[in-house]
Amino acid sequence: MSDEKYQAISKAVTEGEDIQTGELVKAALDASLPPLEILQKGVVDGITKAGELWKANQYFLPDVILSADAFKVGMEVLDPELKNTQTGPSRGKYIIGVVEGDMHDLGKSLVVALLTSAGFEVVDLGIDVPMDKFVEAVKTHQPTIVGLGAYMTTTMLIMKDIIKELSNQGLRNNVKVMVGGVPTSQEFSDEVGADAWGRDALDAMQKALTLVGG
Amino acid sequence: MANPNLEMLHGMLYGKGLRFGQPSGLARVIAAMTGDHADVVPFQGPQIHDHAMTVAKVPARKYYWDADLLVDVHLAVCRWYTFDSVTVIADAYNLEVEALGAKMIYSDYAMPTVDVSDPLIKSPSDLEKIGPLDPSKGRIPYGIHAGQLCIQKAPGPFAGGFFCSPWSLICQAMGYPKAVRALKRDRAFAQALFDWAENQAIWPYMAALRKAGVKNANGADAWAAFPELTPELVIEWVVPSAQRLRERGKKELGMTISAGTAAGDYCEEDVTKFNKEVMFKCWDAAAMTFPLKIAFSGMGRTQEWDMRWLQEYAIKKGEGKKLPIMASMNGRFMRDSTPEQIVAKVQEYIDIMGRDGRLLLWIGNVPADTPPINVHTAVKATRVLGKYPIAKDLTKIIVEPPQFKPFDEWLKDQPEADIIFKAREK
Repeated sequence: MSDEKYQAISKAVTEGEDIQTGELVKAALDASLPPLEILQKGVVDGITKAGELWKANQYFLPDVILSADAFKVGMEVLDPELKNTQTGPSRGKYIIGVVEGDMHDLGKSLVVALLTSAGFEVVDLGIDVPMDKFVEAVKTHQPTIVGLGAYMTTTMLIMKDIIKELSNQGLRNNVKVMVGGVPTSQEFSDEVGADAWGRDALDAMQKALTLVGG
Repeated sequence: MANPNLEMLHGMLYGKGLRFGQPSGLARVIAAMTGDHADVVPFQGPQIHDHAMTVAKVPARKYYWDADLLVDVHLAVCRWYTFDSVTVIADAYNLEVEALGAKMIYSDYAMPTVDVSDPLIKSPSDLEKIGPLDPSKGRIPYGIHAGQLCIQKAPGPFAGGFFCSPWSLICQAMGYPKAVRALKRDRAFAQALFDWAENQAIWPYMAALRKAGVKNANGADAWAAFPELTPELVIEWVVPSAQRLRERGKKELGMTISAGTAAGDYCEEDVTKFNKEVMFKCWDAAAMTFPLKIAFSGMGRTQEWDMRWLQEYAIKKGEGKKLPIMASMNGRFMRDSTPEQIVAKVQEYIDIMGRDGRLLLWIGNVPADTPPINVHTAVKATRVLGKYPIAKDLTKIIVEPPQFKPFDEWLKDQPEADIIFKAREK
């Protein structure tokens, strides 16, 4: 019975049925199914399947967007319950933000969702984040990883300054830095001194897990 | 100033085999587009606004507001690189939504960007509230003046204004996810959005451009590239919209409005997903928005492509004569590669697609921090390796490093020197 519920949630997420996803997740919670199982076997399973279809050229970005919307709705319903649930050891704290002057957050939202599902405690600084705010957040939250996103070739250049400032303030040795966003590349990541480059949301999650030895 | 009509005529004759004189850049482009080939493979001026701003060291807050500065920086930088043509474009995706009241983010070092966290259109009812665009608002006058300056300073068949195509405009006004949701789930709303974009936002701008003497306008549409839109969605939504604008522009304004540029551009990033069938579908869709039949690569990860596919497509679709190929060097490849890697890539392109002519090279949007030597190298390699007849074994031809003066030193003797140096002053 519970498997059927999980499968229905997964299917709704994969097919991008956001309203239905929200209703199904709520129904599963009402039926006292464990939130973590709803997350893993339902919501995450659904977005993973959408990702597989995407990789197989059977889903294209518009399809993935609808799946991501459904995933987001499912997570919104689940999130309060997950926070009340002991979900085992955290993978660590992950601070993420889109750098100053840049407002594009579609990719970041997907990364946040996947990192959360992978067990990271994500602190989302949002978009158009000034360098000082990144530095302060690293001081305050002492994360394992800080992720910098940019969409434009001009704004991405700030990443180098942020990493340099983390070094200047003696913070760099204690935190891994990841960069990502459409105009970035492995070469750029190496050049600015990041620890990893996330080619896309899934890749970012996998690299983050690698960085924490997970 | 050279006469563009004579240059075009020269290019047409040269391309048809009447090879006399030294073709100009424009003549080279025309020869490759309409005939077989010019003296060398032309290297077209790419979308270069951010990079040009960086090379010229002018602040974004002046560059993206002052059309004279924008155009002069483009002209100077493109001439410094010795491109065969000039493309002048600003932050073409922003002007209309900004004038209609979208919240923007401005900075000293980057082009303006729309604040998608607080979009102009949040729900269908917002369409009623956003009145028609007033062409005196925002930076529309800047766009109009830039169009005028292009015609005056870089005349030719491609000179004109720029605008944001309907689909990309919709994405700018409400965010891509919501826009794509409308296409997939709410046809009536999607149609209302296109109607709004074409008639309320773009049309008043086009009418103002025409009134200012600008007869051509090119509409950028990167949000219609693949995989943001599938070729099926491009054909269903973007192509009819472009056709409506084209026909209305011709009929009511006597103007060529080319919307949908870059729609169908194959921009898949994951090499393992490259798919010939999907690429061909994308190129078919892209061709529907171009005024000329061409095979085209734009912003995609072309450094990893098998360029034989593009050549095959151009031959297959050419119906007896290969379509002209506009083949792009990826912008990030240009930024991240060594000059040697760039020479090798140019060599590969020419070897595969240039031997039978009808090839034009360009760069798919030059990133701001691209080392200038890389761009100079690409142009030099094209001039050396792309000389007709193409050498049998290109690997035996040595491309010496390009010789060029640093931009500032070169600029001192150029007509754009005053405006650029002055713009740097605080």
